[in-house]
Amino acid sequence: MRHFFLALLLASGLAHAHKPSDSYLALTAQDQELRGQWDIALRDLEYAIGLDADGDGAITWGELRKKQPEIAAYAFARFTLRDCTITPGALLVDEHTDGAYAVLQFSARCGEALPRRLELEYSLFADLDPTHRGLLRAQLGEQTITGVLGPDQPRLSLDAAGRTRLEQFLDYAREGVWHIWIGFDHVLFLLSLLLPAVLSAPRFAPAFWEVFRVVTAFTVAHSITLALAALSVVSLPSRLVESAIAASVVLAALNNLFPVVQRGRWLVAFTFGLIHGFGFASVLTELGLPKESLLLALVGFNLGVEGGQLCIVGAFLPLAYLLRHTWMYRRVIFLGGSALIALIAALWMVERVFDLRLGLI
Amino acid sequence: MALVLGGWWALGALAAPYTPRDESTVLERLPLRRSDPVAAELRQLRGAPLARRYFELAMAQGDPRYVGYAEAALRNAENDPPAEVLFVRGLLRQYRHDFNGALADLADAVKRDPDHVGARAWRAAIFMVRAEYAAAREECRALAPLASDLLAAGCRATVDGATGKAHAAYDQLKAELEARPDAAPEIRLWTLTRLAEFAERFGDPMRAERHFREAIALGLRDDFLLAAYADFLLERGRPQEVGALLKKWGQSDNLLLRVALAAKSQNLPEAPRHAQALGERFAAAGLRGERLHLAEEARYLLELKGDPKAALAAAAENWKSQREPRDARVLLEAALAAGERKAAAPALRWLDESGFEDARLRRLAAQLK
Repeated sequence: MRHFFLALLLASGLAHAHKPSDSYLALTAQDQELRGQWDIALRDLEYAIGLDADGDGAITWGELRKKQPEIAAYAFARFTLRDCTITPGALLVDEHTDGAYAVLQFSARCGEALPRRLELEYSLFADLDPTHRGLLRAQLGEQTITGVLGPDQPRLSLDAAGRTRLEQFLDYAREGVWHIWIGFDHVLFLLSLLLPAVLSAPRFAPAFWEVFRVVTAFTVAHSITLALAALSVVSLPSRLVESAIAASVVLAALNNLFPVVQRGRWLVAFTFGLIHGFGFASVLTELGLPKESLLLALVGFNLGVEGGQLCIVGAFLPLAYLLRHTWMYRRVIFLGGSALIALIAALWMVERVFDLRLGLI
Repeated sequence: MALVLGGWWALGALAAPYTPRDESTVLERLPLRRSDPVAAELRQLRGAPLARRYFELAMAQGDPRYVGYAEAALRNAENDPPAEVLFVRGLLRQYRHDFNGALADLADAVKRDPDHVGARAWRAAIFMVRAEYAAAREECRALAPLASDLLAAGCRATVDGATGKAHAAYDQLKAELEARPDAAPEIRLWTLTRLAEFAERFGDPMRAERHFREAIALGLRDDFLLAAYADFLLERGRPQEVGALLKKWGQSDNLLLRVALAAKSQNLPEAPRHAQALGERFAAAGLRGERLHLAEEARYLLELKGDPKAALAAAAENWKSQREPRDARVLLEAALAAGERKAAAPALRWLDESGFEDARLRRLAAQLK
């Protein structure tokens, strides 16, 4: 009948204490070498293989040391690195919050060089205590990766060498493309300048070169400020930058409705492009810039932005050129589109200047 | 894939690894010697009985490793498990705060064995944790013909004591206990703890303290009793007695919280060390993705770390699954400290609906209204 009382007692709040079983697994890769340290609780080892030789309820250093080969054999049968050979090293002792731990040092050889990916497999105490977890911390070059290993997740795969430089470059280029595609303010600015470019063009070539000048000017300008801001040479408050970007879109669109600047649109593209570059820079900063490959990230991101931009221009130009004489293009797309862009950008500007949320994109 | 970036490693080892100087240096003391009769008993058991025994040990000693052993013992449960396996699996599920899963397992156990007193009792207990008093009362009613008078009275009194009838519950349970001088010490301890709580609830601290002391004098280890008495002493500005009471049993998180609170209110030099150790334990549980004692964590954040916003978040999260008086109290206190009265609403509603009497909770509620 006792459990009934235990039941109510437990319900009244007696819960858990001490600490569930954890091991701490540290891996460090440095110069083609992999070193590790694995802290396993003495209580867990006692339960698994028995350490208390004299049965007095106390584990001494002598008892632990005598079991060293068995501990290493038991533990390293339950933790593997694919394609690597683990060599156990010294046995030390450490204290964690819930008691004494055996510290198993080890090194690992994985052929001539470190593999690109480290495949970990972990099953320590999985049969004895399904609540056991291995808390992993891997220091691989510049990056630190942490993870939890256990019956729910017995395998982990880590990027050993980090990303290659090409992969990093492509990562940033992809971010650049993505940003220009979802960065409606940049796209609308560019469109506002491109819409009139085809209007009075008798042939394709002049239209193409007008677009080319505008896009190149915009690109050169935002590349300059993107680099300056990313390298922390110049920095501007983001609210000012974002508001100015919105203003540039408003002005560019209004210029189509009430023409002020008709020649030298490339100059407008250049001037405002400088402001847009600061906007790109804030995205790049949010992505986190790797110190050791700053230039790589910068160039990759910028080329991504240009690539994304070219796709948009490439889709726009032929269509606009073909439609340029139609009523549809001249009235609906050119005038109506410009008015709509001016309206949207004006709302953005209000939001950004006064730090409001009007619920628009 | 649970990969997170972060600097948790600092939590791990307390110092650098070392080589002990002497072969005879004792590194660790085990909770059970090999010659201990409990160890011998565990060696004999298999399956559900072994899991159940481990679970009882986990409860008595507050050691979650035993819960892991219990889960391992149950792992090979067959497809159509018998009542006892369902029962123990239900206990383990409620431990993980999977209350719905636990209630289902326990209901299945009752289906297979309608006389399973334990399964009924645990269902009542889980309903109490969720503040579903009508359902708890229903389980007590079903339990009455199966169990002794003292058991049945205990079940009823627990519900009454939480729903505004603490005085009546106290009188009835006390009479039942006096009628059973032969009751086992564990049962006496549980009953005396309840009597102390009821007395505290209806405002008779002298009587409450007498029952706490009677229960402790039984000499059984019981974390819940110790924590409840420690809270009683802290409440009454007697922190120095808490240190003395808990000196022997400092291991569990629940008790460490009380030791740290007592040290802080006396400005003892070890106070920061206790608070830090407690913080590390909560952080370590967080690393595993477990937050099983949110009420304690909320109290730690509020009273030791001085972070009412985080405390309120923990207390509110806790209230989603656990709705006992202590859960309500920490939610009210955290909401008050964080200046977010709205967050206290669910606990205030519970207080109104249950009719729970405790004067301190009522005062807190008045401050929040």
